[in-house]
Amino acid sequence: MNQTDWSERPAWSAVLVAMLLVVGLLVWAWYLATPTPAGRTLSFSLLSGAAFGLLLQRSRFCFFCITRDYVERRDPRGLLGLLTALAVGTLGYHAVFGVFLPDPYGGRLPPDAHIGPVSAILAFAALMFGLGMSLSGSCISAHLYRLGEGAFGSVFALLGVVPGFVLGFISWNSLYLQDIEAAPSLWLPASLGYGGSLLVQLLALAAIAWGILKFARTQQPESDVGVGVRIWRRRWPPYVGGILIGGLAVICYLRVAPLGVTAELGSLSRTAANALGLLPDRLLGLDSFSGCATVVKQAVLSNNGVFVLGLILASWASALIAGDWQPTWPRPAQMLRNFCGGVLMGLGAMLALGCTVGTLLSGVMAGALSGWVFALFCLAGVLFGLVVRRPLGWL
Amino acid sequence: MKIKQWLGAGLLFAASALQVAQAASEVLVSTDWLERNLGQDKLRIIEVSVNPGQYERGHIPGAVNFEWHRDLVDPVRRDIAAQEDFQKLLRNAGISSDTTVILYGDTNNWFAAWGAWVFDVYGVSNVKLLDGGRAKWEAEGRPLSSRQIAHQPGDITLAGRNEALRARFQDVVTVAEGSTQTKLVDIRSPDEFNGRIFAPPGVQELAVRAGHIPGAVNVPWGEAVAADGTFKSADELRKVYAAVGIDGSQPVITYCRIGERSSHTWFALSKILGYEVRNYDGSWTEYGNAVGVPVVNVAGTVWGGK
Repeated sequence: MNQTDWSERPAWSAVLVAMLLVVGLLVWAWYLATPTPAGRTLSFSLLSGAAFGLLLQRSRFCFFCITRDYVERRDPRGLLGLLTALAVGTLGYHAVFGVFLPDPYGGRLPPDAHIGPVSAILAFAALMFGLGMSLSGSCISAHLYRLGEGAFGSVFALLGVVPGFVLGFISWNSLYLQDIEAAPSLWLPASLGYGGSLLVQLLALAAIAWGILKFARTQQPESDVGVGVRIWRRRWPPYVGGILIGGLAVICYLRVAPLGVTAELGSLSRTAANALGLLPDRLLGLDSFSGCATVVKQAVLSNNGVFVLGLILASWASALIAGDWQPTWPRPAQMLRNFCGGVLMGLGAMLALGCTVGTLLSGVMAGALSGWVFALFCLAGVLFGLVVRRPLGWL
Repeated sequence: MKIKQWLGAGLLFAASALQVAQAASEVLVSTDWLERNLGQDKLRIIEVSVNPGQYERGHIPGAVNFEWHRDLVDPVRRDIAAQEDFQKLLRNAGISSDTTVILYGDTNNWFAAWGAWVFDVYGVSNVKLLDGGRAKWEAEGRPLSSRQIAHQPGDITLAGRNEALRARFQDVVTVAEGSTQTKLVDIRSPDEFNGRIFAPPGVQELAVRAGHIPGAVNVPWGEAVAADGTFKSADELRKVYAAVGIDGSQPVITYCRIGERSSHTWFALSKILGYEVRNYDGSWTEYGNAVGVPVVNVAGTVWGGK
């Protein structure tokens, strides 16, 4: 993470471990790719997870950090990268939708797209998620890629996500009947058509970018270094990461499912809580929603499971080469904060049917109002957290 | 891989004469026949799969998607699709009275066979199943497309329901009470048939009684299927069912849990063997919840509200 004191060449031992990781990933992908639809999908999920991990690590695509950069230093680059990803993803998703569901007015939703019910519960869940991000210093996807950078504090945040999910499952049935069941899953193309939805979304993203730039401070240009150093050692310009993440999101939706990192965590939590008898017999309506679906696990390997493992391993390899592999062990207070933040994020991700990736990125790209609502309230949660961070000594 | 595929293609080519003979079946077409006839004008391919998102990511080129839980049923009351809705669906898919319809789907054509039954109830002729379904098509590496083609609307007109293909609750009760000479085939798993479990794992729609309808024989649907997912030959099928006393001499009623897997067996018995068969689409979720009807529960499992 420290960008000033690296030597420009990675240690040979780091390169060796990174090479082993890459070879390991490729061998595993080859092994998974049995000539069946399931095998091909698993292998693709592993490789796309690895690509996602590489992109997150190389462009430091951490929702919390990029928001903080802007709030505290008026550095707009990260947020602009996020907007780039959303714009590219919106374009691609709408192109794919035209194939999957030629008529958007027919009362159906495109298969698997993360279009969730819009309710007060969604707003509450996003707020909790944002608070959890501030408390633990990252969202779930960033904690995952930071594992690869040796940030062992993230382990505690991810551990907290599990009881957070369980809390969400336990409260699900009453919240579902109170609010979620009657909440509409609003999808912009269903009322505006694909062209209208595309136009509205791109205009909205452009307006947000304009607003961000209006209050931004001009940043120091990067010092002039060679291409190799820029690719392997420096943080990528955020728009590069944004374009590539937007493209990856579209390819993943086309082939397997929208991007998301919490389905497997949620499934593990649900399976564990189910086995312990903590959950009600039925989680009403939950399995009929599209989103980061959590299922009681039947098979060891799931698409989302190998996606997340690929993410962590590739991020680790990338961090080793970039010199970002700097193992840190958190102090007890930080462990506790991470754990509590994880609980809030787990709860939020469960009730919102996804996190900053599954609901925000994949939702907004799909033209789902739920994605925008999540973004708004998650931002509110993060900003509130940023305000109270200093007085409460969370720094 | 490649070499195997080429060898496979060569074998298929060599056997193509045989394949055509097989494809001439009135009710089934082979994957090979379908691939060679994809461009035919009077041919419509319909996918009816259980798992959503599968058709959209890749289907047999030119195929139209029917969602079984929206298109083929009445979404409010428990019934097959209303005549008017079904006719509109067929016309939008480009089906006319002279069209040949090929149905296929995932999970061994369960829902495609169910679709074939709905087509038959509405008297649509020239409806066939792709033998082996989606799984065989994919396993053989045949092409898939994600493009949806808007076909010219067809002009088919449906006459009305042929209720003779459909067993209703009262029909089944009279069989259970022994007042009608009809054979019942329960195609569920032996554990469901014997009342050890109320429903297969992962299924929420329960009946509050376990077991089967008196007089039913248990022939799980998979008995009708060969290793590659295709239907067994007519001779083999005849043997399988004759072994439990079903030889076509008496009318047959097939049932399962919700009436869809039983369509698979309905297809084998009625379309391939030509027996007189009705599908009981109320199935165990209707019968096992009915008050006062006779039930055989071998295991004696008692329902405890869970």
